[in-house]
Amino acid sequence: MHLLTWLSFGIVLAIIARIYVIVITSRSSTSRGRGRAETCHLAVFLGSGELYRYIGGHSSEALSLVSALDFSRYGPRTYLISDGDSLSEQKACHGASTGGYQILTIPRARRVHQGILTVPFTALRSLLGAMYHVTLAPRLFGDSTFDVLLLNGPGTCVVLCVAVYLNRFLGLPSPRLVYVESFARVRTLSLSGKLLRPIVDRFIVQWPDLLRNGGRGECHGWLV
Amino acid sequence: MRVLVTVGSTKFDALVGAALSQPVLDALIQKGYSDIVVQCGDSHVDEFGPTDVERKVRRHGLDIDVWRFKPRLDEEYDAADLIIGHAGSGTILDVLRRGKRLIIVPNPTLLDNHQEDMAHAMGELGHAKVSRVNELARSVMDLDASSLVPFPPFDASKFRGLMDQEMGFES
Repeated sequence: MHLLTWLSFGIVLAIIARIYVIVITSRSSTSRGRGRAETCHLAVFLGSGELYRYIGGHSSEALSLVSALDFSRYGPRTYLISDGDSLSEQKACHGASTGGYQILTIPRARRVHQGILTVPFTALRSLLGAMYHVTLAPRLFGDSTFDVLLLNGPGTCVVLCVAVYLNRFLGLPSPRLVYVESFARVRTLSLSGKLLRPIVDRFIVQWPDLLRNGGRGECHGWLV
Repeated sequence: MRVLVTVGSTKFDALVGAALSQPVLDALIQKGYSDIVVQCGDSHVDEFGPTDVERKVRRHGLDIDVWRFKPRLDEEYDAADLIIGHAGSGTILDVLRRGKRLIIVPNPTLLDNHQEDMAHAMGELGHAKVSRVNELARSVMDLDASSLVPFPPFDASKFRGLMDQEMGFES
């Protein structure tokens, strides 16, 4: 029994050390240089947790960010949406008229007004969905791995980051994680922002007040 | 001239109520707005039953177009000369990028009130007028379009540069 306790203690310690090393190394590493002819597979999480009849502010902002990119460099593009978010889907089609894209769905981590007790179950379902697209599909079906994953705040993007970290933990190829806090966040970070700030590769905010406390991140003014 | 009152996908009874009240309607008329459209979202409007989505509402001698939702508001923004809206960032960007006049009325009943921060920031930068619900009539009267600061256009180069750098593309 004593041995088992120490053994599990050791394993937990090793896992923590591994995650720590991943966080530190991915922060300091930069992407290798890409030549003119090279492209990069961009994945964007669009799903909007709070709006259903209207296009969510988050998805509009994400598409606005994508529209800034040179599509001859960023292709193919994958738009990830929460299931049941058909308007996001319409908008993705609308905003991605130039071909070379796919739309994948992930179950929502938490629905609007969902009670706290059932969140672990929906979040787990959501995580499995994220793992399927981030970890399994590229291994099983040879789907192309995302090179970069762009996130801007809706709750389900946290589970996507967990799935990406699972890849890193296993030493599998994983996308760079670029988080852009919503333009709507002037003085306080969103919950996703607070959670993801230490672990994403780039943490970008659009209002300088958000970096006042000296925490990690960068601000280049308004990006949307 | 046309005014659009919009609450996006939210429920903001106080703003919709104020927009249909006599003092605000009087102020709008006095400022030359004869065409008044209210997008009320989930907010309460006396005339609306649970299944109603659109109807003319008669208030103080005026016929006002009231409806709950449309998939896109772009055409509504284009057609309006003044927009009175909650402090949703989507509404703010859509309206100010069109160079339209905007009165922002933050919803004080929201718990996580980051919209209030947004409203203050826009007011301080001079891009929009910020108003409390109960001051809306006066804000309409006081609105001076020439004192509003034009909103900067979308600048794609910043984010493109950030991503290209991150992904190792030469610029």
